[in-house]
Amino acid sequence: MKQLIKKFWRTFSTPSVHLSFGLLTMGGFIAGIIFWGGFNTALEVTNTEEFCIGCHEMSDNVYVELQETVHWQNRSGVRATCPDCHVPHNWTDKMARKMQASKEVWGAIFGTIDTREKFLAKRGELAQHEWDRLTANNSLECKNCHNYDSMDFSIMSERAQVQMKMAAERDQSCIDCHKGIAHHLPENMNSGEGMLGKLEEMATSGYQTGQAYYSVRQLPLFEDQGLSTEAGQLNAATKVKVLAIEGNAIQVEIDAWRKTKGFGRVLFEDFAMNINDGYLTKEVAQSDQFMTQGESKTDDLTGLPWQKVNVTLWMRNGSLTDSRDTLWTFAKSTYDSSCSVCHTQPAEAHFDTNTWPGMFNGMLSFVNLDGDTQALVLKYLQKHSSDFSDAH
Amino acid sequence: MSISRRSFLKGIVATSAATLVGPGLLNVAKAATADSAGQWKVSGSHWGAFRARVYAGKVQEIKPFEADKYPTEMLNGIKGIIYSPSRIRYPMVRYDWYLKRHKSDTTLRGDNRFIRVTWDEAIDLFYQELERVQTQYGPWALHAGQTGWRQTGQVHSCGNHMERAISMHGYSVKKVGDYSTGAGQTIMPYVLGTTEVYAQGTSWPLILENSKTIILWANDPVKNLQVGWNCETHESFAFLEQLKAKVANKEIRVISVDPVKTKTQNYLDCEHKYINPQTDVPFMLAIAHTLYKEKLYDKKFLDTYALGFEDFIPYVTGEGKDKVEKTPEWAEAICGVKADEIRDFARLMAKHRTQMLFGWAIQRQQHGEQPYWMGAVVAAMLGQIGLPGGGISYAHHYSSIGVPSTGAAGPGAFPRNPDKPDDRIHKNNDFKGYSSTIPVARWVDAIIEPGKVINANGAKITLPDIKMMVFSGCNPWHHHQDRNRMKQAFHKLETVVAVDFTWTATCRFSDIVLPACTQWERNDIDLYGSYSGRGIIAMQKLVDPLYQSKTDFEIFTMLARRFGKEKEYTQGKGEMAWVKELYDGCVAANKGKFEMPDFAKFWQDGWVDFGTGPNWTRQADFRKDPEINALGTPSGFIEIFSRKIDRYGYEDCQGHPMWFEKAERSHGGPGSDKHPIWLQSCHPNKRLHSQMCDSEEFRATYAVQGREPIYINAGDAKARGINDGDLVRVYNDRGQLLAGAVISENFPPGVARIEEGAWYGPTDNTIGAIDTYGDPNTLTLDKGSSQLAQATSANTCIVNYEKFTGEAPAVTSFGGPKEMA
Repeated sequence: MKQLIKKFWRTFSTPSVHLSFGLLTMGGFIAGIIFWGGFNTALEVTNTEEFCIGCHEMSDNVYVELQETVHWQNRSGVRATCPDCHVPHNWTDKMARKMQASKEVWGAIFGTIDTREKFLAKRGELAQHEWDRLTANNSLECKNCHNYDSMDFSIMSERAQVQMKMAAERDQSCIDCHKGIAHHLPENMNSGEGMLGKLEEMATSGYQTGQAYYSVRQLPLFEDQGLSTEAGQLNAATKVKVLAIEGNAIQVEIDAWRKTKGFGRVLFEDFAMNINDGYLTKEVAQSDQFMTQGESKTDDLTGLPWQKVNVTLWMRNGSLTDSRDTLWTFAKSTYDSSCSVCHTQPAEAHFDTNTWPGMFNGMLSFVNLDGDTQALVLKYLQKHSSDFSDAH
Repeated sequence: MSISRRSFLKGIVATSAATLVGPGLLNVAKAATADSAGQWKVSGSHWGAFRARVYAGKVQEIKPFEADKYPTEMLNGIKGIIYSPSRIRYPMVRYDWYLKRHKSDTTLRGDNRFIRVTWDEAIDLFYQELERVQTQYGPWALHAGQTGWRQTGQVHSCGNHMERAISMHGYSVKKVGDYSTGAGQTIMPYVLGTTEVYAQGTSWPLILENSKTIILWANDPVKNLQVGWNCETHESFAFLEQLKAKVANKEIRVISVDPVKTKTQNYLDCEHKYINPQTDVPFMLAIAHTLYKEKLYDKKFLDTYALGFEDFIPYVTGEGKDKVEKTPEWAEAICGVKADEIRDFARLMAKHRTQMLFGWAIQRQQHGEQPYWMGAVVAAMLGQIGLPGGGISYAHHYSSIGVPSTGAAGPGAFPRNPDKPDDRIHKNNDFKGYSSTIPVARWVDAIIEPGKVINANGAKITLPDIKMMVFSGCNPWHHHQDRNRMKQAFHKLETVVAVDFTWTATCRFSDIVLPACTQWERNDIDLYGSYSGRGIIAMQKLVDPLYQSKTDFEIFTMLARRFGKEKEYTQGKGEMAWVKELYDGCVAANKGKFEMPDFAKFWQDGWVDFGTGPNWTRQADFRKDPEINALGTPSGFIEIFSRKIDRYGYEDCQGHPMWFEKAERSHGGPGSDKHPIWLQSCHPNKRLHSQMCDSEEFRATYAVQGREPIYINAGDAKARGINDGDLVRVYNDRGQLLAGAVISENFPPGVARIEEGAWYGPTDNTIGAIDTYGDPNTLTLDKGSSQLAQATSANTCIVNYEKFTGEAPAVTSFGGPKEMA
């Protein structure tokens, strides 16, 4: 082999003794055009959806999943094809992606994902490649169609407005939040990936009407059984009573207090205790339709008026547990490990309920906690503060 | 042409084989470029990352890391730390303690006589003492909770090791707060809803873009940003450089409110507003008075975002209990700023977008809660909180706060707590009525007056009867106040254990001293940029542990082995396994957000770069929606009046910010007739607290006749017959020290500076002995800031000084103990 390479290199690097310089240059140029044209034509063929779904690995798995989504069918009739999202549009990146695709060649030949089972087992890794690529280019292929500058926030739901404006301010990568928008999420994502999965694992099932449960994380609330009109958000570890179960939706009742300075959107677990139970949209907070209002009294420590409310709303059927202790166990271990990186974590009962938010928020930049876990840990600390404990 | 994906993929394989030949040619020359004079390695420190050339088992040369565009000159001191004559070479025990154990003559503490022991014997003694104290007394008698600025590195972080091992043995007294920000971190949650002092601030680019006026209030970022809690990146300096250009172009006015012309003021070439020491609150009250009287305050902002303005303003207008109107004229008499200048200052702040940037010095004094609270009140009256380039910050001088965060996750740390909370040898958690947690700066009070009940942050604290203390990488004989009072206290302790790599004064006053290695004699990992989250830095061991030193990990593993918890302690993992575990944890936490190479590649490259983050404005979310994004205060709003603090009923910290006269104050204040000079003990320019003082060559770049410099005013010096470079004796009723005079035009009459962290070196162990090197805490006041925070009051300190005549005693701070045979 070594000999062969040497021979080849010698021939290649020795000046021609038979052909003129002009002929060689022209010949090379013409050959280049023919090759380039052919290459590009061939390449363009690989960039069509027909090409992509030509093998069953694609057509039987991700393609059928796409057909369930808004990127396949919607009221305006615009749809995304495979290459719209998965092939970079500028030439250099496109070439880079094509080079990477050589791995798919290997996979096709050796049958890495030739059954549904194998595909599902491999999905996490495959998805991660695409997420990594979209993270690296700040979701360029999404942004070819979806542009922050062209978004009309005013016609979004209130919750979406909050999220999208924040994202737009930071030119956030779409894929940060919208994983699984066109294909199913990897199955093991719940167990293996991140805190969210860990929280979801704590949810129980088979809810009974009339029983009380606790949310395992922050969850959207809706005005209607169809879950179409946003009503607010339930905080983590919040007690709800299930009133009705209708398929995908459950109707819940939240007993809470609120401050009446402002719109009264924020719900608290108890009078004069800043233990967040969630928040309501302005419409819901100001309407009698979803709540009954109870007694009012003033908190002497702040001078603010509080009011007892009983709110009835709808939410998705899931992400509730019958045991708040399970959540507390998780929150405690997260607190003990995350908050002792730099210093000894203060004992839970070292501060009172309304002091904890200030202490906790002041140190958040040092810990790697997502929003759901932050909310859960804070609530844990408040519920085990000096107000609920004799120890100091 | 019709090509299916399948046939294309199959067809291409045939032609691909040819392209597989080739790689490898490029790598040939790589090995030859290795430096023939040694090996270059990457490591980190509080002073930044660097590359070190190691040859013949010795660190030869240190170069700033290439990503650090503004490296600190303190990198020049690192070699001197490793090869310092003050290194602890062997486990050693105080001579008298070795003879009589816990019944030793404790008045001999500090006589600096030690005897060498083997590691086994030293750890046995350590363990036997823990066992004795837990069984003879109980958890209330052991305080192993004082921790400090450690060396960097998240696996070997010494406080974590000490607390994990001690906790696996039994319970002990813990602390809350710290010496840097004790008053600030306690008051601000009541006022703005977080500690503020450790929270990310508005991004520098937004300040540079939007601020018209920047007030540096007792704040010296150019000095203090040289160091960081984790490995420092010095990214802030790029913004300070831009600020300097904007000051020169008159685009931004920067005014430094300070008794002293700071390093930052001189660097920026900005304006100076001189103010008498400790009198910031009268100045601010007069600003509030002007804003109110001239209707320059934002009433709508106060109505929407704040509570209690109407309960506060009578105090300003003279309708409060004291019936004193806080006019600029009233303030002038105290703070030394002309009344008209105060009015102009207030008008300027109200006229444009004004960013206030507070330092920490003014809360490290008696009533240190007040200036911070009052600053927030002024900011609320200006109504710019939550706007880019407006409002107030208490931290832009710390660890690159203000550099936008990337949002990447850092590497975590070796666990500080036992994996199972109650997995302890001694399960006795009965503190016999003593408090199990005390405010950090009150432990000396506890030793002197055990059982005394004090107020602290709304609670009653019963000071525990401490018999034994354990320190690791912590030097309270630098950071605590009033050395002679500490000496008294240490007469009452039975046993003190210190783990350190260098012979600090804390080691000198201990009984069992264990030699740790430096951070450059072990492998570790650190976050690069505490707040910017710039990346992850590898800390590759440069040389093996010198002498008989060991890593903190090894030392506390040995201790845990004594009580059968070695496996629980290490989780069965060694140093590199822990480094890799922290790295892998970081990879998992960043998955989908930041791409990170595998561990081997990271270790070879020396770092991972997360780039730079997006701009961010502090409290913008609160300004946008104060209901949903409520502050963490009791009400959720800015609390100008705190009913909660008011209920505590403390005389020295009431329901709203107030001016309180200090126990001692220069410039006409109490005690100034006898001791007319205010001594400030700010963070050093050429050290990190007391770290690097033992670096001989580097110390020589600033020491005067081998002593710590005291920076003084020319007139004050002349009146005392002192020339630049003279030795001076600095004294008050609490103590005395020797220092070297540096006459500087930066210092006004009646103001002197000795930077904290200068190593204490008394002539002998007697109370009142002169300090031979110049530790300012020989002279400072050991008194809680107030009943609220009970924080350090180091900057409430007045002294006098004179030219030292006679034979100067030799400096005793460095070089370790007298070894007894």
